[in-house]
Amino acid sequence: MKKPIVFTSEHEMPPMAVSLADMGHNRTGSWRYLRPVYSEKLAPCKNACPVGNDIPRILSLVSQGRYEDAWRLFRETSPLPGVCGRVCYHPCESFCNRKDFDEALSIAAIERFVADACFDLEDRIPERPKRSEKIAIVGSGPAGLACAYFLAKDGYAVTVFEGASQPGGMLRLGIPPYRLPRAVLDREIELIARWGVEFRTNTRVGQDISLEKLWEQHNAVFIATGAHQSRALNIPGEEFALTGLEFLKAVNAGKTIALGKRVLIIGGGNTAMDCARTALRLGAHPIVVYRRTREEMPAIAEEIEEAEHEGTQFEFLAAPVAIRKLNGKLEVQCIRMKLGEPDASGRRRPVPIPSSDFIMYTDTVLKAVGEEPDLAFLSEHLETSEGIVIERAQGMLERAGIFIGGDAQTGPSTVAQAMRSGKEVAQKIKSFLRGERPPKATTLEEAVRVNFNYFTHRPRVATPQLAVSERILSFAETKRAISAEQARVEASRCFSCGVCNSCDNCWVFCPDAAIARINGHYEINYDFCKGCGVCAEECPRSVISLVEEEL
Amino acid sequence: MTPTLTGTKKVVTGNHAVSYGAMLARVQVISAYPITPQTQIVELLSEMCANGTLRAKFIKVESEHSAMAALVGAASAGARTFTATSAHGLALMHEMLHWAAGARLPIVMANVNRAMGPPWSVWTDQNDSLSQRDVGWMQVYCESNQEVLDTVIQAYKVAETVLMPAMLVLDAFVLSHTAEQIEIPDQALVDRYLPPYQPVYKLDVSDPRSFGALAPPDLYMELRYKMHKAMEDALTEWARADEEYYELFGRRYGLIEPYRADDADLILVTSGTVTSTARDVIDELRAAGRRVGLLKIRVFRPFPAQLVREALANAQKVAVIDRNISFGMGGIFAQEIKSALYNAPDRPLIFGFVAGLGGRDITPTVIREIIEYTESRDEPEDLIWVGVKR
Repeated sequence: MKKPIVFTSEHEMPPMAVSLADMGHNRTGSWRYLRPVYSEKLAPCKNACPVGNDIPRILSLVSQGRYEDAWRLFRETSPLPGVCGRVCYHPCESFCNRKDFDEALSIAAIERFVADACFDLEDRIPERPKRSEKIAIVGSGPAGLACAYFLAKDGYAVTVFEGASQPGGMLRLGIPPYRLPRAVLDREIELIARWGVEFRTNTRVGQDISLEKLWEQHNAVFIATGAHQSRALNIPGEEFALTGLEFLKAVNAGKTIALGKRVLIIGGGNTAMDCARTALRLGAHPIVVYRRTREEMPAIAEEIEEAEHEGTQFEFLAAPVAIRKLNGKLEVQCIRMKLGEPDASGRRRPVPIPSSDFIMYTDTVLKAVGEEPDLAFLSEHLETSEGIVIERAQGMLERAGIFIGGDAQTGPSTVAQAMRSGKEVAQKIKSFLRGERPPKATTLEEAVRVNFNYFTHRPRVATPQLAVSERILSFAETKRAISAEQARVEASRCFSCGVCNSCDNCWVFCPDAAIARINGHYEINYDFCKGCGVCAEECPRSVISLVEEEL
Repeated sequence: MTPTLTGTKKVVTGNHAVSYGAMLARVQVISAYPITPQTQIVELLSEMCANGTLRAKFIKVESEHSAMAALVGAASAGARTFTATSAHGLALMHEMLHWAAGARLPIVMANVNRAMGPPWSVWTDQNDSLSQRDVGWMQVYCESNQEVLDTVIQAYKVAETVLMPAMLVLDAFVLSHTAEQIEIPDQALVDRYLPPYQPVYKLDVSDPRSFGALAPPDLYMELRYKMHKAMEDALTEWARADEEYYELFGRRYGLIEPYRADDADLILVTSGTVTSTARDVIDELRAAGRRVGLLKIRVFRPFPAQLVREALANAQKVAVIDRNISFGMGGIFAQEIKSALYNAPDRPLIFGFVAGLGGRDITPTVIREIIEYTESRDEPEDLIWVGVKR
């Protein structure tokens, strides 16, 4: 500190209370008991994304028109952006903070746009040490593909065994092409193969090759065989009903199925919706028979809406009790239901109303009341409960180097959940092969606080769709891509929750000018930061945290 | 562009005259909150900022207190700053008015005189601005739209010289919303009159200083003394600024304006728009041979006590019209004038009239009655309520 200036008369004094010397010696940071720190938070969209796509950063790149960089960032966390941009039920959008302001970001549409825009790009495959360990993956659905991709990226020798003639599992067999064009799926599987993954199709484990043999020949085995076993209706005349999933597989494989005019679909899940919409495209009139109401349907709401839009009829609170064949037509005896007390799933249990039977006439009955894993080929090795592998058995298998995941482990779920499982198994296998414990997942605090004052209301982009009249004529993709301009504008709506995007607010607001801007990031000069917290308050996206100083 | 003595003639309201004045002064930061009857001032300025006519930062705020606080910050950083308000808005600024003055920031503000509520009123009287008499702001009461525009420009000249903030005051509706033809001076000429503000001390991150720090008792009083000295200097500076303005633009107003007062036995004292009405009444009475005159007080703070003493030295009687009331005492201009004259050797008799509160019109008839009342009495009266229905 410099020598104090002593005033002896008003003439010597400045007009106002201002120091005549530089005040740099006064380290006002010593007053601080709260310290602002830049600590990025987990955006709710990213947190909700089963594969952990870095959505805020990806959207930031898209908003700058950097589509290739965005695509490469997608591929850091997911090998299937083109698939997910179309079929994922996008939990990211349900958790988007922007929904509390105007409307959630249209993240899926942007993902699809990026994948389409980069359709011809290749991954940059670096030179990396080849590892000697060999891994067998049984099943090439989303779980198997994700696991294969992340192991192959690390240099492991991965072979994927697939019973069908082409890889893709449920993506190819179950999901109709009007939701997922096969060219997109083929391309993304091709890119996985570029990493050195070997696909052995027409090879059904337990039939063409035994699990024991795979286990002997590989250092680890991942069972990702999905859930393909359709549940039974357990009613007289069930033999007259076709399995919805088998129907879809046949149509998706290009086979001709004679449906007749009227098709009853029993069930309210996604398979039922796919059956209805596929039947429509084959010129039939589908009627979905569901024992509860629309609210309880397990299918994704968007799928239900689309099915209805296209002309699917719904018969709610009805359950089949018998099927009879009469002069080449089918007669389905149904009973009227009402909703009772909630069951274990939290949905209200359907209860039959006595003597309320009625008849529905039809040409075809498709049953789609759920699928479960078919793990007969490994049944001697493990205990299952309602088709689901129980935890104890799973632990035992894992110690032997056999991992199970995806729908085969959980029962039917979503594409993204299966991918998450495949990714997790890839990590487990790496740890297993290295004889290490799996690394503990580090979770960041979620960014929930957005300072809405810094944003203006802007509408969400609408995804263009084919007209219904056109849609039902073919299996052409119903949703169209948004334009590059729309993608850019939509991406710029992102709040970038928890992720600094160099908006300068902290720098502008710091009353002590204690924040410096250095090459697009910020540094706090703690010699002068008084810990007032204005920067944290005015950060629109809760990147700055206030932590108590240790005294 | 060659400066010309004449600018553009334009028919504008008093409010827009303020806006044009601020524009010509090339203000750099404007922060304001809307209030009737001030709104159009900042409305036009915000348009000027939006369309690029005026290169200034327009800060929208949530209150008048914040508006003044924002200008305190901007002026501390060396910007030429402007705001406008009225009545309750001015009252809400009160704390920051002290700050602006104590920090010696040459902020200029327009206050549209509006009566304070309750009862709610949007019409003119002077209680809002006169309630801020002692905060250390200069106050100038304007009579016409031209004077309003010219005063904005003069106010920066004086404020930046003496480092005290300035408030120009105009009557609600009578000036604010009434259009008349004025001359908008040439920008180049205004630039010559009013060069950019060059602060001696300012906020600068590369030269960190302490501003507004604690002053112990042995320093506080000196800083207050310096503020008062600056106000005294401002009397000279207003006169100088007015003369320089006259040389360039051909118009001057004085700190006070005596009208036909030299040989008057009775002098009427007014401020604001009442002056124009009074001028007509004086002419009419003069034509009838009555020895009456008028004194307009334009600059109220600093109070031109010496000038007032001289102007009133030869009068027998003085009638002060106050469009304001200090409850429990009387009209505020009357008090100031009495205070200025008390130590003078020859003092006229002073009659204090309170009239026109809450926008009630002060018509020629009212003014004639005030003059007749004063002429007919031999004893002075501190407070005469004009026109109250009793």
